[in-house]
Amino acid sequence: MSSKRHSILPPVSQSGPKPPVHFSSSITIADSALLIGTNLIVIHSESVIHPRAKLDSLAGRITVGRRCIVHERATLGAVGTSGKITEAAVTLGDYVTVEVGASIEAGETVIGEGTVVGVGARVGAGAVVGKHCTLTPHTEIAAGEVVPDFTVVYSNGMRRTDKRGVAELKNKGQARQIDVLRRMIPSNPAKFA
Amino acid sequence: MAALTPYTYIQCPCSDSSTLGRSSGPNSPTGSEGDEDDRTFDPRAPRSNYSLYPLEYLLYCEDCHQIRCPRCVSEEIVTYYCPNCLFEVPSSTIKSEGNRCTRSCFQCPICIGPLAVTSVETKPDPGLLAATDNTAAPHSGPYALTCSYCNWSSTEVGIKFDKPNSIHAQLAKLRNGGTTRLTAKERKERRKDPSYRSQAAATTGSEGGAGPGKEEKLDLETQFANLKSFYQRQLADPNSADTGLASLSDLGFSSPTSLSRIMSIYTGGSLQDKKAKSRVGAMREALESDEGLQIADLDESAAIDKLQTDGHDGTASTAQLLDQIPNLGEAHLHGRSRFLSELRPIPYLLRAKRSKRCPVCRHIISKPEAKIQTTRFRIRLVAGSYIPSLAIRPLSLSSASSTSSSGASVPGALLEPLKPTHFLLTFRNPIFDTIKVTLGAPAKTPGRFPSKVTVLCPEFEIDANTDVWDEALKDSGERERERERERRARRGGFEESTTTSSSNNHNNNNNNNAQNQLEVGKIWERGRNWVSIVVEVVPPSLKLGDSTGDGGGVLREDEDVLEIPMFVRVEWESEGGGDEVAVAARDTSGGSKEAREKRELAYWCVLGLGRIRRS
Amino acid sequence: MSRRPPRGEYIETDTGNKVARKATLVGTQNIMLGGKTVIQPEVMIRGDLIRTIQASSQSASGAPPNNTAVSIGRYCFLSRGCCLRPPGRLYKGTFTYMPLRMGDHVFVGPGSVIQAASVGSHVHIGTNVVVGEFAIIKDYVRILDGTVVPPNMVIPSLSIVAGQPARLIGEVPEGGHEAFELRDLYKTVGNNPQPAPS
Repeated sequence: MSSKRHSILPPVSQSGPKPPVHFSSSITIADSALLIGTNLIVIHSESVIHPRAKLDSLAGRITVGRRCIVHERATLGAVGTSGKITEAAVTLGDYVTVEVGASIEAGETVIGEGTVVGVGARVGAGAVVGKHCTLTPHTEIAAGEVVPDFTVVYSNGMRRTDKRGVAELKNKGQARQIDVLRRMIPSNPAKFA
Repeated sequence: MAALTPYTYIQCPCSDSSTLGRSSGPNSPTGSEGDEDDRTFDPRAPRSNYSLYPLEYLLYCEDCHQIRCPRCVSEEIVTYYCPNCLFEVPSSTIKSEGNRCTRSCFQCPICIGPLAVTSVETKPDPGLLAATDNTAAPHSGPYALTCSYCNWSSTEVGIKFDKPNSIHAQLAKLRNGGTTRLTAKERKERRKDPSYRSQAAATTGSEGGAGPGKEEKLDLETQFANLKSFYQRQLADPNSADTGLASLSDLGFSSPTSLSRIMSIYTGGSLQDKKAKSRVGAMREALESDEGLQIADLDESAAIDKLQTDGHDGTASTAQLLDQIPNLGEAHLHGRSRFLSELRPIPYLLRAKRSKRCPVCRHIISKPEAKIQTTRFRIRLVAGSYIPSLAIRPLSLSSASSTSSSGASVPGALLEPLKPTHFLLTFRNPIFDTIKVTLGAPAKTPGRFPSKVTVLCPEFEIDANTDVWDEALKDSGERERERERERRARRGGFEESTTTSSSNNHNNNNNNNAQNQLEVGKIWERGRNWVSIVVEVVPPSLKLGDSTGDGGGVLREDEDVLEIPMFVRVEWESEGGGDEVAVAARDTSGGSKEAREKRELAYWCVLGLGRIRRS
Repeated sequence: MSRRPPRGEYIETDTGNKVARKATLVGTQNIMLGGKTVIQPEVMIRGDLIRTIQASSQSASGAPPNNTAVSIGRYCFLSRGCCLRPPGRLYKGTFTYMPLRMGDHVFVGPGSVIQAASVGSHVHIGTNVVVGEFAIIKDYVRILDGTVVPPNMVIPSLSIVAGQPARLIGEVPEGGHEAFELRDLYKTVGNNPQPAPS
């Protein structure tokens, strides 16, 4: 390769205020993650924030649980249609995965433990997604909708219940993945402090 | 309204009634004599849907010198393969095992995603969360098929496997719920075994609880096998039980003699000789389970109970049921209740590489290589290398003449009714001879809303295509410049802004150059092996009622799409004996110019230009 | 090529790659470009997600560890906003990423996310397509807009797929092979783009 640089990362547009943060010491947050807003952003232990993930606390507090993975270009706290400011904008339980380009709108939106929000999926403001759910890529959850635990949303809104009973196994897999990601993603929590 | 990108569809001659040896009849739009040249092809005719193809879908027969479409070619299978594991399946296996993959390739019965074999791990010990405790676990213990899209698992229908390989064979022995199922061979052996029979009778008798009168419950394959052997026995044994005389009085449903009796009445009885009568009369229907009789189980209370507990979510959709392989030895047709728990993993349907033959001369016109991993073709006579391709582009003329013409220059924009719009048609010649193109289009398009069409230059020549290598050897930039020069020369001293305007694909040349005005009978632009001409269209107003509305008060589907039927006739001279000489050889043996042969190809095509704005 | 502006929208490499300055390439040392590939603005490639455990056969043979995370052939076209990332999975109890290999003449439409194990040559991936982890896409495949290719799916050559999840909806016709060529498209972007041939 002609380029000796390790990355080509065009500067991100750091528009808006720098939010107050509360990080656990064991988290991994990429240098190029984007944290904006005015309210508190809380990230619990061992969670991983990929490069170019965007956490926006303009409409309320953002809470990321333990051992969550927020992939690149995912947006937590996207200001949806309501635009309301609430106490807690987005709350992720433990072991939540938010895949590439997924977007979770602000407004007391809750994602339960072990849930996977697929690539490019959208969760509307105020939706409550239960534990160990799977939202397949491009799924849309309407604002205010309640999705029960272990629901799989697939094929443009079809729903079924996950009966595999592998929740614990999945969580363990998540822990393994985090082990690897911690070594790969250079963490720079100091930048956001 | 969805945007519509201009398209060209070509009509395959196979749908032309005249080639089928029948006259077209009086119902053709304009033709009275059925003469080919007089008829205007109507792209909206119901049959047109089946004869129009984009150029890429068409093949060309070099021997018949005719276009061939996917509908008229005859296909032959070269190789069968599984689309999932990409293994070739020999045709002998197809005969014995059917048209599905017999390895471990399955589709999800819920969402049709691919299923993967995963080990069903026993619940991990909550006390052991050490990093190493599951390193060995994934490679032991029972396996299941799981879908990584919708998270379905075969454990949901009670199917687990002992080995991670040859799932198909394992699945064939398992019923949903985990009970074993007999293969055809085992069933045959078991049927012969007298000890099994008594045992089976005993078990069914005891668990059925309905008393000794209850018949043995047969699965579908056993029933079929029993029935088959029963009827074979019946046919082989002409004078088994009944005589012809007895059959006359037998009107029961269990005998086909009633049918033969009726037959003899209507045929007058004379055709039926005595021997045949007695033979037919000997047939009767199965009466015991040994003979394949299965009493329908009409008690659906179990299904109703299940429906009450599982609800609608527990039932399978029609699409899911259609994806299932029919009659895989599951419940009987009359007993089939439609629950998700009865769905089975779907073995992948095999795919085939196919070669194609000309329907007339039987020559092969497309033949892929047999190997699955390669995408090469031994023979691939595609129409695109014989007939000129046609690209359509909206053309916006100088802004002086019309102020809002920019609307038409955007592809997919709606066409304004009653406003002349221009389109640029670019014909590109793929062959190595100069071709003469003659176009014919009706002045008014057929249909309830006729558009006025004027082809400004209906007759022109396109220079021959040159060898790709001549082109490739030149520097691309130089070629571009050369082309530019050529273009300028042709247009006659039109010097400025060509580079910038042509850099835009949609050619927004807003120049007021007098040279660039539309002229009847003149080519718009010409290149190495292409020619652009202009077509002027006046779209109709889509007002209903006042026009020639035949009954319909509403706009029918896609009636606002402006489609022009166009008859294209291509003439060229090629070297003699073209039947023997391949196209590739044709231009290498350019020296010998004995007997140039005149060739001609004519076909209808349809130009879809865009949607007309509704008033 | 004579008057190249000092700082164009694209970085043009010696091998003819045109990489937009506004593209996000993480871990460039693990991204291999075959040449003449276009990477448009806002494309993201995750070269940092490298394989952590080598295949046992490879390590036994003593070959040097190959850290390539994403390899792209010639004349590929990565449209604005698409994302290429290596697929990852648990392998013998540990999590590892595996390389993403892409052949020649691969078009990736805007906003698509590709996590395939391999993409063949002459592949057209439409707009907003999601290709799941470890999918294998063979040559001459067309994936229509909005398709979700589920993880582990194999798409054989000359297929047209669409839907969520993807299913086979047709075959690429014999005359449709040439449409996959991206040489002309390559010329239309860069710091001094040339017009598409009419």
